[in-house]
Amino acid sequence: MANPNTKFLVVDDFSTMRRIVRNLLKELGYNNVEEAEDGVIALNKLKGGGFEFVVSDWNMPNMDGLTMLQHIRADPEIKHLPVLMVTAEAKKENIIAAAQAGANGYVVKPFTAATLDEKLAKIFEKLEKASA
Amino acid sequence: MINSESLQQQTLLTPQVQDAPAHDDMLNRIGHVTRTLHDSLRGLGLDKIMDQVAHDIPDARDRLKYVAKMTEQAAERVLNATDAAMPLQDDILSQASVLEARWKAILANASVKSEYNEIANETLAYLAATNKNSTDTKALLMDIMMAQDFQDLTGQVIKKITSLAQDLERQLVQVLIDFSPNSPANTKKEPDVQLMNGPQIDPENTPDVVASQEQVDDLLDSLGF
Repeated sequence: MANPNTKFLVVDDFSTMRRIVRNLLKELGYNNVEEAEDGVIALNKLKGGGFEFVVSDWNMPNMDGLTMLQHIRADPEIKHLPVLMVTAEAKKENIIAAAQAGANGYVVKPFTAATLDEKLAKIFEKLEKASA
Repeated sequence: MINSESLQQQTLLTPQVQDAPAHDDMLNRIGHVTRTLHDSLRGLGLDKIMDQVAHDIPDARDRLKYVAKMTEQAAERVLNATDAAMPLQDDILSQASVLEARWKAILANASVKSEYNEIANETLAYLAATNKNSTDTKALLMDIMMAQDFQDLTGQVIKKITSLAQDLERQLVQVLIDFSPNSPANTKKEPDVQLMNGPQIDPENTPDVVASQEQVDDLLDSLGF
């Protein structure tokens, strides 16, 4: 497991899903979790600094997850942030678009706790290798 | 009259051979009616709306079926998990009461060491069981929580149906506006939202859609991610 103090931002317009992801992260040992209900709010929070990981939905009002991801990758201050997409969008072109935009992982809803755990572990592992 | 008589005669004599001019006339007239109907529908813009309705209504029906399926699954998971968690909590409760009573009885009377040993061992066994039951209960509570994920998915699908109903209503209103006197017809184009389709309600039977997390992983692998 990575640092338990890793600061997460969970972005989803449905509060139920934000709570579920937050609880799953807590169960995995990550207690430092904040929430945002769309891409605009999320970007504002991210620019405020301190975040180390983003878990985001795709389909949201105001700014969707893909646009948010593109903004993150275009901003030198936050472009290094790992972004895991957790979304109901299941078309192949969605997955390809997310990968091309620089997503670090893609989890399709409905998902299990084990899947989230596995994807997080994989991303942390890759990050460690990259920084080593 | 002559025509129909000759038609009857011919039909009686040689049913296979049809009266060509009468037949053509009938086809012509059906064709004409069809053309008129088609033109007036198209003139009103109704053909497109009919097309849309014909496509959207079954789509809305399938989406509602998906909502019913997901809510049923979630309800079952919740009930299964609570069914399993309840006896665990009952065990914890009843065993705790038994131990409490036993300890009270022992402490009320002067007792020998063997009795202390016995109840101490029972207490240890209980604590071990509590450990396991609490862990199991926690897993069940997590499952209860996870079952609530339907709310996000069905919520998205319901939103789609709501906007679809609004869309149909808007189009019908637009027809009324466009064809009321002194109103210029205008055409609006919906924005392309191809990448925001919401949950796939029948992924196995939809092309270019992944049906499982494994397929997502395989696709990403194949792309080199």
